[in-house]
Amino acid sequence: MKIAYYPGCSLHASSKLYDIQTKSVLNKIGIELSEIEDWNCCGATSASKTDDFLAIALAARNLGIADATGLSEMMIPCSSCYSRTLVSQKALAGDPALKSEINAELSKKVEGKIKISNILEVLLAGKNEITEKAVKKLAGLKPVCYYGCLLTRFPSDMPVSDSVENPLSMEGLLKAVGAEPLDWGYKTDCCGASASVNDADMALKLMAKILKDALARGANCFVTTCPMCQLNLDAYQDEVREKYGISKSLPVYFITELIGISMGMDPLEMQVDRHFTEALGLLKELKLL
Amino acid sequence: MSTSTLKYSAETSDELLKEVMDRSGQNLMSCYQCRRCAAGCPVGDESGVTPDRLVRMVLLGEKDDALNNLLIWRCVACYTCGTRCPNNIQTAKINETLKQMAKEAHIEPHIPRVASFHSSFVKSVSHLGRSNELEFMALYEIENFKKGGLKAVKEDIKSTSKLGRSMLRKKRMHFKLERTKGKSEMKRLFMKAAQKRGAKG
Repeated sequence: MKIAYYPGCSLHASSKLYDIQTKSVLNKIGIELSEIEDWNCCGATSASKTDDFLAIALAARNLGIADATGLSEMMIPCSSCYSRTLVSQKALAGDPALKSEINAELSKKVEGKIKISNILEVLLAGKNEITEKAVKKLAGLKPVCYYGCLLTRFPSDMPVSDSVENPLSMEGLLKAVGAEPLDWGYKTDCCGASASVNDADMALKLMAKILKDALARGANCFVTTCPMCQLNLDAYQDEVREKYGISKSLPVYFITELIGISMGMDPLEMQVDRHFTEALGLLKELKLL
Repeated sequence: MSTSTLKYSAETSDELLKEVMDRSGQNLMSCYQCRRCAAGCPVGDESGVTPDRLVRMVLLGEKDDALNNLLIWRCVACYTCGTRCPNNIQTAKINETLKQMAKEAHIEPHIPRVASFHSSFVKSVSHLGRSNELEFMALYEIENFKKGGLKAVKEDIKSTSKLGRSMLRKKRMHFKLERTKGKSEMKRLFMKAAQKRGAKG
C-alpha cells in the first residue's frame, strides 16, 4: 500500500532519525511512504500565534500538492504539522471564499479530498502485521506513553481518533509487542516545547511535573510520537533534573524505534544512539540489543 | 498586571468584545465562568491571570488589562482550555487575537523573547520555505539583541549554545539549508498575509 508522506522540517533536520525509522518500520509492514514533492513548513505554532492567514495558507500549499498525488491518504508523524494541516483542511472546507482566495495563489489547488492521518492511526491499521513480525518481545520495558498536546486537542472542533483525555492507542501497540505500558497522569499534559527557548523556567517546570510522575509510577522510559516533545523531554532532561533535584533519568523513545526493535531491526541503523538522554543502556539491560 | 477599578461602559465594552469575537471566532458571551479552563491551564498559576479571567476582562471592556498581561504571552497553545470548555470557547484563539491586537497597539510584550521567537520562526520560513534551526536561532538572537541589547543575548546564548553543542555531538544538527523550490508561490502567500495585516492597521 502506498500513502503520501509529509515529513515536515523537524524530520528533515533535528529528528532525521525519526524520518529514517518511520520509513523503514512502515516499509516492513508493507506500507510505502511517498514523500510529497517540494513541501513547505506548515507554520507550526508560530504562524498560528502571529498570523491567522498564514496559519491556514502555509499548510494549504502542502494540501494542494498532496491532493495532486491522487493518493487517498497522507501521513504526518509530527504532531504539530499534523494538527496544523488538519486544521487548515477543515478551515478551507468550511470557508469556500478563503479556499478560492488561497487556491488563486497556488499552482496545485486544494481539493480537500486527501485523508490526513497521524502515525498512530497508520501503525494501528497495521497492528496485525506488526504483531506477526514482532520476533523480539519487549519484556521488561515499562514505558509511560506521552501523547502531548496536539494529537488529541485542536484549536477547533475536530473528530479525534482516540480518547481526548485518556488516549490508549500507543499503549495498545506497545502491549502487542510485549512491552508493559503503565497508567499515569501526564500523558496529554504540555511539556512546553515551544517555550523551552523563550520562557525556559516555565518549560522546565512543566517537564519536571511530567518526569516526576513517570518516575513515581515506576516507568523505565517515555515513548512518544511527536518530534517536538521528544527533543524537548530528551535534550532538556539533565537541566530539569538538576534544577528539581531528580536523580534518575529516563530515555525518551520514538514509538517507531521500539516497534522496529521488536520486529528485529537494527537499533543503530535506526540511529537510537542519537538521543540526548542515554537510550541504548536500557535496551542492553533488557537484552534487546 | 495592575489591579484596576472597573471602568465599565457599555459602549467601549461592546467595541472590544465585538472585535475580539470577530477576529478570534469565539463566542465569549457564552462563558459562564465555570473555570474548567483555569483548572486545566498549565501556565495560569504562573501568569497571574487564568483563561476565565481573560475572557471576563474582554467582556467588561478592560482593554488595557486584556492586551497587557502575562497569560497571552505565556500561553503554550496546548488547547486544554478550549477542549474542556463546556461552551466550546477556545481561549488559546483569544490569546492569539489579543497578542496580535497588542502588537498593533504597540504594547511591549510581557515576555519579549516569546514575541521574537515566533516572529523569527515565521521570518525564517518566509526566507527558505522550510525552517532550519540554525537560521531560525540566528534570526531570534538578532531580534533579542534589537530589543534587549547585548545583555539579553548573553543570557540566552549560554543556554542555546549548550543545546547547540549537544545537538552537534548527537548529530542532530544539520547544516544543509533545505529550500522550497516554489519560491514565487510562497512569496505570494506571504505578500497576501502582509496585505491582510495591513488592512487591520
